[in-house]
Amino acid sequence: MKNTLTFLILLLPFYVVFAQNTTAPKEDIESSDRVVPKDYAENYAFMDPDDRRVFLKLTKELRCPKCQNQNIADSDAMIAHDMRRKVYELMQEGSNEAQVIDFMKVRYGDFVHYQPPVTGATIWLWLVPIVFVIAMMTLFIYRRKPQQDTSMEDKLAQADEILNKID
Amino acid sequence: MKRLIWFMVPLALFLCGTVFLLKGLYSNPHERDSMALERAFPTFELPDLMNEQILHTNDIFEGQMTLVNVWGVWCVTCAVELPYLTQLSREGYRFIGLYYDQDLDPNFGEKTITRVRSEVIDMLGKFGDPFEFNVFDVYRDTSLDLGVTGAPETFLVDHNGVIRAHHLGDINERVWNGKFMPVVQKIEVELAEERVN
Repeated sequence: MKNTLTFLILLLPFYVVFAQNTTAPKEDIESSDRVVPKDYAENYAFMDPDDRRVFLKLTKELRCPKCQNQNIADSDAMIAHDMRRKVYELMQEGSNEAQVIDFMKVRYGDFVHYQPPVTGATIWLWLVPIVFVIAMMTLFIYRRKPQQDTSMEDKLAQADEILNKID
Repeated sequence: MKRLIWFMVPLALFLCGTVFLLKGLYSNPHERDSMALERAFPTFELPDLMNEQILHTNDIFEGQMTLVNVWGVWCVTCAVELPYLTQLSREGYRFIGLYYDQDLDPNFGEKTITRVRSEVIDMLGKFGDPFEFNVFDVYRDTSLDLGVTGAPETFLVDHNGVIRAHHLGDINERVWNGKFMPVVQKIEVELAEERVN
């Protein structure tokens, strides 16, 4: 215990240096010209504020197939521009949320939607954490279980046995 | 025995995790099976790139095997693959370009069609022209229907207008022989059988 503590204390200066190194560039970025994220939704006009809300939700939920970890609301890739325009068009033609998502899924697969469907392959995303928690809890309870106290008579018998051995 | 199990189980789990992560290191996140595979080529009616009077439809696929190459002059990788595609077209494979331009769009600014055409002629003159003709996907709707994410992408369409193979990225000898050749041979057999009947 004491050793660990000393070790951690010895590490402290390194940690401070490291932390400074990692935070330093951040300030640089903030002081220099920052890229102001463009709100692409501004390009589209909606008569009904509800429609606008649906549009914003959809473009947040749909993933850009080109720039993998961005949604299409956020991405400047051409495909994202096209997909936003398509979402708008489909909505103007009267498609609802599910229909727009299906339209994109037919073309770009389940990949395009950030909410994966439950299938044989994806069920593990939900099962593994549950199985893990159950397994760990079982293990914890099983390991922690104290030795069952035997009755006083058994203990006396054991003691006698030991005493007999000494004799 | 029990001790051995307590040692082996975490070790096995650790190794499984390592193998999984190691595989992830070498996997290409952009590589996904196209949804268009084994489906009919999306219905389209688009003008020819060089002459807007000519309208192309799905009839262009009828009776022959076609390679549809999605490309644009702004695409660097397209320039890389054009010489090889030209070589393939000389061997008798039919290439049709599905051309799209990013500048010809209200979202991206203006570029006249005459300029696009001159740029296309320029580029094909420089790197080789494998295309029988180019279909101009004006609003990129057909590209979207195909599930295209960027250029270049190539679709192998059979004589019935069904997409049989798809490749994202440039086509080179390795890709052609490994990915396209087996399907091409299958389609050629089917074509020969249909001609006999």
